[in-house]
Amino acid sequence: MSVTRRLLLSAVGAALVTMPVVAEAQNLPRNVRMVIGSSSTGGDTYQNASILADALSEHLGVNVRVDPVGASEAFKALARDSRGTTIMMHHDQSYLQELYGVEGSPDIFEEFTVGPTISVNPGNAYLVPADSPYQTMEDVLAAAEAGERVRVAIQPGGVSEIGFTAMRNAARMQAPGSEENIVPVNTGDQADKNQAMWDDLADVINGSIQANEQFTQLPEDDPTAMRFIWITATPETLNQAPEEGLGETDRAEMLTYAAPEVSVPMTAEENFTFDKEFFLMFNSETDPALIEAIDTAMDEIYAEGDIQQRFLDAFFTPEYRPMAEAQEHLQSKNDDYETIISELKSE
Amino acid sequence: MDLLAHLIDPWFLGLIFGGTLMGIVFGAIPGMTATMAVAVCLPLTFSLGLVNGLALLLSLYVGGITGGLVPAILLGIPGTPSSITTTFDGFPMAKRGEGERALKIAIIASVVGGLVSLVALYFFAPVLAQFAIKFSYVEKFLIIFFALTVMAALSKDMLLGIFSGVLGIFLSLIGTYDITNGGNGHTRLIPPGMEYWLDGGFALLPVLIGIFGVTVILEEAELGMPRGQSLKDIEVGPHSRFSFSVFRGQWVNLLRSGGIGTFVGILPGVGGSAASILSYTAAKTTSRHPERYGKGEPAGVIASEAGNNGLTGGALVPLLSLGIPGDSTTALLIGAFALQGIQVGPLFISQNIDTWNAMIAAMLISNLVMLVVMFFAIRWFAMVIAVPKQILYPFILMMCVIGAYTINYGIIFDVWTLLIFGVFGWIMAKLRLEVAPFIIGFILGPAAEIYFVKSLESFGDLAIFFTKSWIAVVLWVLIVASVAGSIAISRRNARMGEPSA
Amino acid sequence: MDNLTRVTIDFDTSHLIFPTIIAIVLGLLGLAILVRDRAAILGSGRMWATTFRAMDKTRFFGALALTIVYFLLMVPVGNIWPNAGYGFLICSVPYVVALGLLFMHARTPAAIGAMLAVAVIAPPLIWWLFSEIFFLTLP
Repeated sequence: MSVTRRLLLSAVGAALVTMPVVAEAQNLPRNVRMVIGSSSTGGDTYQNASILADALSEHLGVNVRVDPVGASEAFKALARDSRGTTIMMHHDQSYLQELYGVEGSPDIFEEFTVGPTISVNPGNAYLVPADSPYQTMEDVLAAAEAGERVRVAIQPGGVSEIGFTAMRNAARMQAPGSEENIVPVNTGDQADKNQAMWDDLADVINGSIQANEQFTQLPEDDPTAMRFIWITATPETLNQAPEEGLGETDRAEMLTYAAPEVSVPMTAEENFTFDKEFFLMFNSETDPALIEAIDTAMDEIYAEGDIQQRFLDAFFTPEYRPMAEAQEHLQSKNDDYETIISELKSE
Repeated sequence: MDLLAHLIDPWFLGLIFGGTLMGIVFGAIPGMTATMAVAVCLPLTFSLGLVNGLALLLSLYVGGITGGLVPAILLGIPGTPSSITTTFDGFPMAKRGEGERALKIAIIASVVGGLVSLVALYFFAPVLAQFAIKFSYVEKFLIIFFALTVMAALSKDMLLGIFSGVLGIFLSLIGTYDITNGGNGHTRLIPPGMEYWLDGGFALLPVLIGIFGVTVILEEAELGMPRGQSLKDIEVGPHSRFSFSVFRGQWVNLLRSGGIGTFVGILPGVGGSAASILSYTAAKTTSRHPERYGKGEPAGVIASEAGNNGLTGGALVPLLSLGIPGDSTTALLIGAFALQGIQVGPLFISQNIDTWNAMIAAMLISNLVMLVVMFFAIRWFAMVIAVPKQILYPFILMMCVIGAYTINYGIIFDVWTLLIFGVFGWIMAKLRLEVAPFIIGFILGPAAEIYFVKSLESFGDLAIFFTKSWIAVVLWVLIVASVAGSIAISRRNARMGEPSA
Repeated sequence: MDNLTRVTIDFDTSHLIFPTIIAIVLGLLGLAILVRDRAAILGSGRMWATTFRAMDKTRFFGALALTIVYFLLMVPVGNIWPNAGYGFLICSVPYVVALGLLFMHARTPAAIGAMLAVAVIAPPLIWWLFSEIFFLTLP
């Protein structure tokens, strides 16, 4: 666990000298570049990528570098390289941005080979100011039904918007037409969303357990204090999170903000949930044997069990799904969300 | 472990020393930035543990911000974006043989700026954070607008200068209206056929080192590589001896610049480079001799360097009291905390008082280490001037390539940007367009756009810029004063019979 | 009065607002320059002619050409050994040598020797530092 990339590198270097056959046998390139869909080295995408990259480096005896070039450049780099020396890691944003019609978004299921899932960030959440009249999501939907405008701060075109879309969908199911009262406040990063709440430009904001939990612990008279109103993760995912939770909010409390305790219906039978999942993508012309080698390596890494603790320490939940299963899973997720997004759009 | 234990821990001290030193080297190489230094060392912190890891990263930050002054003064190439304003007066000083004096002034100003912001951070972080959240889109736009007014003050020819600045803003808008900043993700202004390369626009760092570094080299090539300065030229003579008397009458400037730097750091999203630009503007407009600025005025170097080091403490305020980074470097620190499973937010300081104290101690020590190291290294730095150009320039170009390619983790178009803006800068000079306002426009353009459009989008009223809050009114007063000051300066220059000097 | 200052921003087209304003301002400033400096602008042909006559063409265009070739070769050369940074390493050495020779005035053995030493030592050192120690991707 306390292996730095640098130490790892020298270890790998030594390993390569002593047993060059290993890497050769699997036909893996010695230097793999893992581009990710975020351009920040401080964010969750980078953290998950570097945990996986470290594990893969160690297990396969190759160098795996993580390059946070951002989604647009990452897709370009992946499209250019069919030799398997470039792989990409990203999360649900990669297909959601296409569903939301963001300019220049590829259809990942068409243009790339979607690979195994890695882990989940269970943190996606919606919050209200501590003194908000809304106690639950039901209050929010009821307010919309009563004709009150509810302003929700989101970053449009992806993960941050999907929960908002679900709210509007639920409002429409409950009282057709009331979804018009749930309006987006289009902001940028988390700082902007918080600021929108403090400036009284938004009644509800998208946020995360990680970034906003401490604000929920402030005394209620603090002007920056917030309350969770909805955590979008599935109960299965939250149940895998550490029991002590994060900060002062333990897992039991988190579960009270998530389905099925908080119900935002997606269909008559089903609640809407959203797990932000990280997964790999490959150039569609990459040698299948190479992709399989990585998939197998991941299977073995997760079987060893060390990587799980690393994810949990950083408040992510490990969730490896082998290639085929992952493809099916992500495709069905894509289809579910496509339905509600397109239904809302068509009106 | 309490603070005292850290202070006698050789690891802790060694990491601060090494970090500061490496930061200075990174900052001093054109194309390498403090952000890059922190980014490459981030993975190391995993094995170092939280306090030692932070000590390393913070001292890299302090060293990196400071190191940028070295090439800014000696070569006229800013080592980091926040040292652009240092070139305005530092380089003219070096050209007239006062390089060493300029370096010393800059170093002391840096330390003072760093200490001012550290005091602000340690004693007032929560209060300052509460104040910072009063800045909505409107106030942030006005801050940026105020910083943009420096274009007028920096112009040699007001009309051409402002044109250059607006051109800089225009070029900075090319590409996607970035969703992560609040935009709608649509592209605009891309020349036909360039969509593949330009959807992300031109990156700041390659533009900056292109227009400063590559342009300088092209201009020298055009002149046939004239012989440069030798060590003899910058030898300390009576005319250039450094003495503390330079700082007489500059205490207000030092404290104000440190304060401005701190304050800009506190405002998330305004961007680090605005710190030195604003403190330079403030120093120039309040000076009794504004006409000396841009020609080698020590007060300009002081303002710029105290301002950019003031940033270091300031940018940590929102990080540690709101969980929101104040600039691109502190954004990386979030990663360091997250890797250790530590939350940053409004409760960070009270819940991690030992870590907090150790961080402050690390930054304090790092500032002192920086002072000592830089003073010792001045002689070696100065030798850069004596390196033959046929060795220095190819080397700088190579480093610019590394810097441009690695700043966004491997995008080859960033390398081409370097050359495009190198040639562009050369043409600009021929057309008498001005680089300083251009680059300020380019840096501040994207933030100006977001905050301007978002202000109108949120409030739906043009009057909001005047009526939002008392802060907005104060900012308008500053803006008007700055513009009036610039006009007065250019009038005075005209009267003195040296228009566009 | 209130109505005069009211504006509604359509988010879907909001990417065009600021560029439009800036383009208009830029155009007006350009126009003002055109009017004020028309003499200089008309004479700019002569300015460029003088510039190119006085220029050290070998060094100026040589430096440009070398840099373009350097940038062009870096990626394909690097692609032979993916993600190892050899493109930078292999192309930088001759680039530094060629540019050094181009810029040099008195090509004495001592000067050439010093330059060659830098060209042979610096790129590998930089490559090693950034690619192997800092673990960054180079071309």
